[in-house]
Amino acid sequence: MDKLADTAVRTEGLTKHYGDFPALVDLTLEVRMGEVYGFLGPNGSGKTTMIRTVLDEIRPTSGRAWVLGMDSHEQSIRIRRHLGYVPGDLAMYPNLTGHDTLTFFANLRGGVEWGYVNELAERLAADLSKKVGDLSTGNRQKIGLIQAFMNRPDVLIMDEPSGGLDPLVQREFQTMVREVAAEGRAVLLSSHTLSEVQRVADRVGIIRHGRLVAVEYLDDLRAKTMRRVELEFDRPVEASVFEAVPGVHEVTVDNHRAVVSFGGKMATLLAAVAERYDVVDINTREADLEEIFLTYYRDDDVEQVVW
Amino acid sequence: MVSTLFAKTIRDRWLAMTIATSVLVIFMFYAMAVYRTIDLSIYTDLPRGIRDLMGIPAGADAATLSYNVMLGFVGALTLAGLAISMGSAAIAGEERDGTLSLLLANPKSRTQILVSKTASMMALVAATTAVLWGAGYLIPALLNVDIGATRLGAMMLHLGVNALFYGLVALAIGAWTGNRSLASGVTAGVMILSYFAVGLLPLVDGLRPAAKAFPWYYFAGGEPLLNGIRWDHLAVLSGGGVVAGATAIVGLDRRDLKGASVGITVLDRLRTNPRTRQLFDRLAGSTRVSRLWIKITSEHQGLLVVTSVTMFGLMGVLMGPMYAAIADNVAGLSDEFPEVILALAGGGDMATAEGFFQVETFSLMAPIAVMIVTVVIGARGLAGEEANRTMGLLLANPIKRSTVVTEHAVAMTVYAAVVGAATFAGVTIGSMIAGLDMAIEGIAAASLLVTLLGLVFGALALALSAASGRARIAVYGTVSGALASHLANSFLPLDDSLAGYARWTPHYYYLSSDPLTNGVSWAHATVLAVSTVLLIALAVAAFDHRDLRQH
Repeated sequence: MDKLADTAVRTEGLTKHYGDFPALVDLTLEVRMGEVYGFLGPNGSGKTTMIRTVLDEIRPTSGRAWVLGMDSHEQSIRIRRHLGYVPGDLAMYPNLTGHDTLTFFANLRGGVEWGYVNELAERLAADLSKKVGDLSTGNRQKIGLIQAFMNRPDVLIMDEPSGGLDPLVQREFQTMVREVAAEGRAVLLSSHTLSEVQRVADRVGIIRHGRLVAVEYLDDLRAKTMRRVELEFDRPVEASVFEAVPGVHEVTVDNHRAVVSFGGKMATLLAAVAERYDVVDINTREADLEEIFLTYYRDDDVEQVVW
Repeated sequence: MVSTLFAKTIRDRWLAMTIATSVLVIFMFYAMAVYRTIDLSIYTDLPRGIRDLMGIPAGADAATLSYNVMLGFVGALTLAGLAISMGSAAIAGEERDGTLSLLLANPKSRTQILVSKTASMMALVAATTAVLWGAGYLIPALLNVDIGATRLGAMMLHLGVNALFYGLVALAIGAWTGNRSLASGVTAGVMILSYFAVGLLPLVDGLRPAAKAFPWYYFAGGEPLLNGIRWDHLAVLSGGGVVAGATAIVGLDRRDLKGASVGITVLDRLRTNPRTRQLFDRLAGSTRVSRLWIKITSEHQGLLVVTSVTMFGLMGVLMGPMYAAIADNVAGLSDEFPEVILALAGGGDMATAEGFFQVETFSLMAPIAVMIVTVVIGARGLAGEEANRTMGLLLANPIKRSTVVTEHAVAMTVYAAVVGAATFAGVTIGSMIAGLDMAIEGIAAASLLVTLLGLVFGALALALSAASGRARIAVYGTVSGALASHLANSFLPLDDSLAGYARWTPHYYYLSSDPLTNGVSWAHATVLAVSTVLLIALAVAAFDHRDLRQH
């Protein structure tokens, strides 16, 4: 096996312009071996452009990228021997069966261990006998996932991979991703929904308008995540109780009910209110990615970077 | 009628129509300029049989000849071809792309959609016909050519109605079956078959009336350019069109729509049958995906089979007995053929079997057949894989971009060779069963050269496809190039001062050495082969240096 660096993917000042439009701006990031890196950003933020540049599908306007220490353009063939890839908006050859498709890709790589392929197919409940064109989106996605996992790649790059999968298969997929990281290999996974990433990722990079806005350990991010908490009490409450709690941004009180925008540890909030009131009901919803950007990142020092 | 759908269909199609019309107009100008300068009186002495076959009416003058070649022959086939493409795509194409269900999610009936699509096809055919009609008056005026008593308007009316007839037939088949390739393939087959039947049947004693069974007869049979409008013929064509249109409405209304699904091929059936399973599982499955070029080769099997069978059977085997049947009619004319007729008909001397095959099989049909398969692989191969969004996945594997290009070139060579071999086998068998005694080396030489000619244009399509990533640019560019090459090579030699320029066209290296009689010219074969290799090298360089497109 080739000498592998301990960084799975590294980019330095990676920039890609489409005409005048800057799709990626000075992007520097690092995905380490043994971790699952979630690449998070709204639609059109540059996630796919970054992935396609790393894969040498497109060439950067400036900056460089390395996979396992190898230059993404100069050594792209060597890189791809160690790479598994699921493109966003996956399409495959409609007139080949799943089995034919996997055979085809296996032949391009010089063979595959079929026992492992069948195991993957079983875990994802994939039907390999049907033509890919006759499969539903989710079932087609399974074939795409198998072809990415089947060679046990050192680096797995997946662009929004769980679209169309049902919750059961999604969970199995997440287990498979964790297994890859546990074996010391690396996964780079892009997504536009936080919930999808937070179940598997160790770290997330947040990208917006082509710029990397923040890189966070998932635990830290979860603590920062804004939640909308609805509380109902046995008697009328006062807003001042909540305002004193660190992390509370906005409070609306209506007799027995209070709605709080909260970005801290839930235990702190509950401890503060339980002192004086009995909580009858509690309802909480995670803010989506856009809300996090709007409430957390906008008013911080990244403001001029983001907008 | 849904006006936005009408407008959208026009917008999607006008470019192809404009390019085709422009090429026709340019060459009509050139043809007329050439015919103006040479003595055409000799035409009037030709017997009717010969003229029928070549599509030259009695009393041909410069204008009549140009009209007949550029409008009556090339123009009519092109316009009908474009109408077939629109008609078959109208319903079946949208169905295959999965966009028909999206259209029908709006509060519009199937019939409304069908009518809007038909109306846009009619509008485009009418517009194209009108432009060609105008050019037909303008060009002789500019060149000071007397158009005499020709009835250009009558011919153009026939031409437009004829194109619509084929468009509506394709529409009906597509609407009834939801299968686009079936619709365009069957209709184009009927068109080409009937074109030949109308040209050749009248030459066989007693078979002249049989030509009336073929639709092309109602376009060309009455010679509208000379005799004016034949209302009875137009009635047959428009009646047929109306029937086809009504069939389309009924057919579309009564059936289940297909999802965006893939068809079931014969191979698939054999694969599921327990008795043939083992063999065909290998053939359609593991063998097919064992190498990239084999997989590419497997992708257009249907097209390859249809093209090869046509060349083998219709243009090969059948042409032998056909020549034997008409040989007597043309035997007396072995000498003194005017150069211009030879050029026009592909340079063949019709009094010999070699000349006949050159005119009927090799001059036009064989290059078209080989080019259909090579250009489809060249244009659709790279750009198509990008459009289908599978290129990224393919290139995530450890293979070079240059390998992807060269594997396409290999598949293209296999396709060209199969069609070339089918042509060789068909003509050889045709010649043998009719006792024509044609030299096998000659047939082999012509078949080899046509294979190489097809490869040059296939490689051009591959290069355009590699550079642009757009199949459309590759197809239009290559078809324009091939048409220009063919016409330039046919007409430049008629003018002594321009004759030398024909050497710059690939077509020159195909038939100018008269391979059917003289055997292969290795120098010419080398020119074609080297051109192909250079174009493939260009394709490799272009593909290596650009960003893959994202759709």
